[in-house]
Amino acid sequence: MAKKIRLSARVLSENDRAAADLARQFDKARVFVPNLMSSPGAGKTTLLEETARRLGKELRLAAIEGDLATDRDAERLRRAGIPTHQINTGGGCHLSAVQVAEALTRFNLEDLDILFIENVGNLVCPAEFDLGEHARVVLASTPEGDDKPIKYPIMFHAADCVVLNKIDMEQAAGFSREAFRGFVRELKPDVPILELSCRTGDGMDRWIDWLRQRREAVSRGEDRRCV
Amino acid sequence: MHEVALAEAVWRQVDAAMAGQKGRVSAIQIVVGAFSGADPESLEFALRLAAEDSAWPKADIRIRREPLAVRCKACGREFEPEHLSFRCPACGETDAEICRGKSLLLESLEVTEDGEEDPA
Repeated sequence: MAKKIRLSARVLSENDRAAADLARQFDKARVFVPNLMSSPGAGKTTLLEETARRLGKELRLAAIEGDLATDRDAERLRRAGIPTHQINTGGGCHLSAVQVAEALTRFNLEDLDILFIENVGNLVCPAEFDLGEHARVVLASTPEGDDKPIKYPIMFHAADCVVLNKIDMEQAAGFSREAFRGFVRELKPDVPILELSCRTGDGMDRWIDWLRQRREAVSRGEDRRCV
Repeated sequence: MHEVALAEAVWRQVDAAMAGQKGRVSAIQIVVGAFSGADPESLEFALRLAAEDSAWPKADIRIRREPLAVRCKACGREFEPEHLSFRCPACGETDAEICRGKSLLLESLEVTEDGEEDPA
């Protein structure tokens, strides 16, 4: 007789445990951790460069940078004044909590206000891997088309903040902001949608305000992952 | 293709569950929700590939799909969204919570005592 063993175990339980441990560390150090996710080329690194230009003197910023290969993006962030640790996933399409935990040994969390995690450019896989972050920021850009939210509903449904970049290219790309907002609202009615252009600086103030507000709440111990 | 990482995690969990147990794993049952982010066919493929390097290369892999179901926060209606739009067919609101479809579970193992034939 074959015997059945019931487990009902989450396949991602290893990652979940590592993520819970990260969340406790982030809460304890009161460092705000946003996890930036987008398709390749949407402008994650550029957004962080421009953020450093505006916030670098006021807040202590650092970044963990995930890429399949090369440390080109980490170099860009270091040049912008953000201490950055590069994780090369060697073909892996997402960052895992274990990889982030290893990267954390390079930072003293007590000395930071915001630690950005720039995930691997991919709108599917990173959605499933909790990294202990306080907020999931999903970045889209106008040349990608206004229907990205309904094509990648899991990612957009998981978002705590949606950033739309490259609004200066809206006309050339034939992009409708109205349609984009509608698609996001179909999935998540209350999520903030911040429309901006890293190139022209248009709309950057709202992003900086959002970061400041969330960071302040975390530093006061009001915005915690672990209750 | 994060399904490869998922498949490896599944086999590690199977090994952990079998530690100190007699018999061999003749089948594993996985539940894949429509909103889990994993593609059932890719996951099955990745599980078969990874099985070859596991202690249970002959185990049968069974995948149960779990459809997406959400509940409208405004009127309480439960529905299975079409085209993954969360707009409620009853009241038109889009604010809905997911009640089923996010699962990604190693549900059960089937263990056969040594010397026995596979049940299948």
